[in-house]
Amino acid sequence: LRELSIGYEGLDRVDGSARFGFGWSFTGSAAALSSISGPIEVRLAAENPSQATFEVLLRPLSNVPGTESKALASTIRNLLTPSIILTQNPRTLVQLVVQALIPAEKFYSPLVASIINASTLALMNAGSIPMRGIVCAVSVGRFRSNIMPTSSLILDPSDDELSSLQGIGCFAFLFGTGQTGGSEVVWSNWQSSISFSEEELIKARDLARGGAEKVWIGMKQSVGRVG
Amino acid sequence: MSSSFTVLPGEQVPAQHVNLKLGPGLFQIQSSKQSETSIISTRAGTVNHSANNSKWWVESNSRRYVPAPQESVVGAVVGRSGEGWRVDIGSAHFALLDGLAFEGATKRNKPNLKIGALIYARVSLAHKDMEPELECFDAQTRKAAEFGELKGGFMVRCSLRMCRQLLDPKHFLLPFIGSRFPLEVAVGTNGRVWISSKEVKHTIAIARCIEAVDPDGGGLDESGIKTFFNTLDL
Repeated sequence: LRELSIGYEGLDRVDGSARFGFGWSFTGSAAALSSISGPIEVRLAAENPSQATFEVLLRPLSNVPGTESKALASTIRNLLTPSIILTQNPRTLVQLVVQALIPAEKFYSPLVASIINASTLALMNAGSIPMRGIVCAVSVGRFRSNIMPTSSLILDPSDDELSSLQGIGCFAFLFGTGQTGGSEVVWSNWQSSISFSEEELIKARDLARGGAEKVWIGMKQSVGRVG
Repeated sequence: MSSSFTVLPGEQVPAQHVNLKLGPGLFQIQSSKQSETSIISTRAGTVNHSANNSKWWVESNSRRYVPAPQESVVGAVVGRSGEGWRVDIGSAHFALLDGLAFEGATKRNKPNLKIGALIYARVSLAHKDMEPELECFDAQTRKAAEFGELKGGFMVRCSLRMCRQLLDPKHFLLPFIGSRFPLEVAVGTNGRVWISSKEVKHTIAIARCIEAVDPDGGGLDESGIKTFFNTLDL
């Protein structure tokens, strides 16, 4: 796992903001900037009388947000919703805006993991939205190997290693008590150019779980530094 | 206060007492196993508890105010609403201040608040499903105390933890500024502070000092604020 860069930006006019990147600096590594506002006033059309409305807006670094941004925003909304206690602030809006900080034509797995982690950090930084857990995400890649029959898995592949991977995926885990074992998978996607077996996916998931635990520890240390 | 430790949301907090009172940031959940409940934190911050372990809470900072009853807030009138006024206190919804919620107010004798006026009021009703309501008198004595309209002055925004620190009588900032020049301050727990002094540059100095000591932007301590104050042109 590369060194994590976590920063709390202190953006104006929003209630919480954070930056997350895999790699020791924010430039050149998969990094994302996110901001949270909430609970704030909601449009009448989107108002829910029993819970807060959670809205996610995702922006790539260049170009206007297209179909892929909207699809990923909808995915992130679904995976972050279990971690927020929305019933404590009905008829309000919790708005998350995430900006990808590296130029990429499509959202590849380390960037998606950064986006999820940055969103979680912004939610924690805001402080006004109650949460029941933390979602941490890491990406796992699968090396091409011609020699061995089984290929090896690598946690958090860096940009140079990406070209030699046969498959890559992102796993997101919800850390919170109430679940057995401490964390459960809330979302995963795995793409591979060759076929893979279920046990390989399970191995990838367990490797990712260890990485996500390290991300969790990194987040806790950042709270201790700031708070 | 005993030792405190940092928690992330979702972490379990070992709060056990016969008469346990959970403060802000703590939540009781049903465990999926037996019918036991556990206490988890809902915010990222430091867990504190009182000396006899009966009161527990999570101390953290935020910028957005969520109304809670019996808190004193500084609000700005944004419009009339029937018999009373709508007041912006920084929460998701505007608060309602009834025309009769003042000491000695009758139907013929109501205060005359203009739009844009600042008031210091107490949150009397803060239910999550309803709009918050304000009152301008003390709860037990029903006298005005220090509530009511704030005339003149200037309103400064800061983080919620800064407001709580300013309300602490042992905090260094306000006595320090008060020793330099006279000032009037009304601190609302909603992230808004009203300041008033005779000269404009004093008002600006107080505003900048509050910004500098705010944990969000600066977080200066006592010696830092002394050097900062000397750089201001007073």
